[in-house]
Amino acid sequence: MDSPVDLVPLERGQLHVIRIQTAIQSAVLLVPAVIGDFALRERGVPMGAIAVPVLLLGLWSVFFAAHRRWRSWGYAFAGDELHVASGWWTRVHTVVPLGRVQHIDVTQGPVERPFAVAKLIVHTAGTANSIVVLPGILRETAEAMRDAIRVHIRGAPW
Amino acid sequence: MREAGVIDEGQARRLHPGTIGISLLKNAPSTLIGLPAFLAFTSRGGWAWIIPVVIVATLVSALFTWLGWLRFTYRIMSDDVVIESGLLSRKRRSIPFDRIQDVSIERGPLARLFGLARVRLETGGGGDDEGDLDSVSMAEAQRLRATLRGERVTRMAMEGAEPEPVAAAEPIFAMSFGRVLFSGLFNFSLVWLAALFGALQYLDDFLGFSYRDLVRWAGLARDTVSDRVTFANIALLLIAAAFLGIFSGVLRTIARDFGFKLTHEQARFRRVRGLFTHSEVVVAERRIQLALVHTGWLRRLFGYQGVSFQTLGGSDDASGRQEMAPFADPREVLRVLNAAKIAAPDRAGLTQVSRGHVTRALIKNGAVPLIVIAGAGFAFPPAWLALLLMPVPLGIALLERRFHRYRLEAGRIVVARGVTAQRTWIVPTANVQAVSVTQGWLQRRLGLASVMIDTAGGSVLSGPHVIDVKRDEAWGLQRGLVERVA
Repeated sequence: MDSPVDLVPLERGQLHVIRIQTAIQSAVLLVPAVIGDFALRERGVPMGAIAVPVLLLGLWSVFFAAHRRWRSWGYAFAGDELHVASGWWTRVHTVVPLGRVQHIDVTQGPVERPFAVAKLIVHTAGTANSIVVLPGILRETAEAMRDAIRVHIRGAPW
Repeated sequence: MREAGVIDEGQARRLHPGTIGISLLKNAPSTLIGLPAFLAFTSRGGWAWIIPVVIVATLVSALFTWLGWLRFTYRIMSDDVVIESGLLSRKRRSIPFDRIQDVSIERGPLARLFGLARVRLETGGGGDDEGDLDSVSMAEAQRLRATLRGERVTRMAMEGAEPEPVAAAEPIFAMSFGRVLFSGLFNFSLVWLAALFGALQYLDDFLGFSYRDLVRWAGLARDTVSDRVTFANIALLLIAAAFLGIFSGVLRTIARDFGFKLTHEQARFRRVRGLFTHSEVVVAERRIQLALVHTGWLRRLFGYQGVSFQTLGGSDDASGRQEMAPFADPREVLRVLNAAKIAAPDRAGLTQVSRGHVTRALIKNGAVPLIVIAGAGFAFPPAWLALLLMPVPLGIALLERRFHRYRLEAGRIVVARGVTAQRTWIVPTANVQAVSVTQGWLQRRLGLASVMIDTAGGSVLSGPHVIDVKRDEAWGLQRGLVERVA
């Protein structure tokens, strides 16, 4: 879906972060699959009937789906607004007027640190969008955005 | 500006001692009934020593409740309210006057017996940030509210805002008992049937029979009359369930809305309602995020609607919506909206969403029931009869587009949606938080998008969202809303 503004893609490092996170998730899923396999071996089900599909699914999601997911993200930071777009199956493009931001966090998890990417977390007073997350930008960029947004944060209007 | 007899600053006060009594009574079912029942079940006999055990349990719980009461203090300082509590780990909570949105007074049936009330200091944060004084005497509750409100008025005056002159406290909306009764007829509810069956299962051992026996008896009854047409039995059962649903709906509505009264003074709405739990809620005009006029298809036929305000903080129910007039005729609805300085929406001026909405609604309303019926039909052939009911959700889907309209005006956006549960949202653009444009897979194929308008204090389930408009319209709407917020 095209967007009314030009979206900047995420850093390349984020692709690796997504791949690693997906790999961990798939590995975690593999454990009960293997256990299930052992349990069903007595019933005559061939070894690997559950584990192999799960493994294939994991490999596919790490090598193909992760790239697609990384590419679906985009953001734009201009004037009075922050745009964050994501999603491959369901596209979501959120615009946060900077005057609506309650407070901001910049975080960098252990997986993100070696790839020099950070996450910008913007809190608003809304419900569904009370937290808007923008992952995969350089730490310097995130901090620059945070400082720029801070100027816009006013006291609560109510 | 402070009234005489107001609370001394800084003096630590405790809750009313009656709180201990109420607390014991509330816990009685578990200590007096549950505990002996459990012990009797596990020890098989020896009823004689149950009584001393119950006495000891009651004394122990009374001791802890008393200790908790002893260690709970609250004080009104110059800038904030300080609440200290805790037996072993002391907790000190300070709530600045500026953050107190409203002071609500609740009186449960036990509290009313003792002449006590539960005071809640509601802040914008909600949950952990709130102050809860359970319970103080009614006089103390009134004094607290007067003081805290007086503080707000003083501060407002210091900031230059003029508090409005006190108007006569004439209710802008009130429900007579007849009206409450009538409105109860529309609140069909079968939830009590489920509760009844649940209770039956729990009381299994105490009654002579269980619900399994009931089913067996029903089966026996069915077998004996199997010669006669069973349709009559099913019809009777359905009618009985319908009556029970209406009856329970009326009872629930009476319990909740008895004596409903809405007054408006000093830029504040005060709503009083309830038969067993007398609840009193104050909503400040400044906190109102949006107005929601809602009705059902049957209510609409009779000409009745409901008005709620979505507020930030200070909510009875999870979604942060306060019911201001649950069952009102159009004139009363206008009066409530005008009191909140919200112009009534002009239904004729709203534009419909795109035609693709019908397609998606048909798929949504038709696919799942069809799959369920097909699945059940293969196992149980008479289930195919349920296909006769399919025109209902499909007909509703066809109407979805006619009932989903919106309009972005100078200072607000009006969104109307829903065929059976009809909602009209009136949101001032100043209260719009973030705006998302979403596109599902099918929407991409059809060139549509949905605009999700996020507001404060709302619910994740329903909101002033515009579903299935043309993609460019969606971008335009998002642009228009964001520009007006800044």
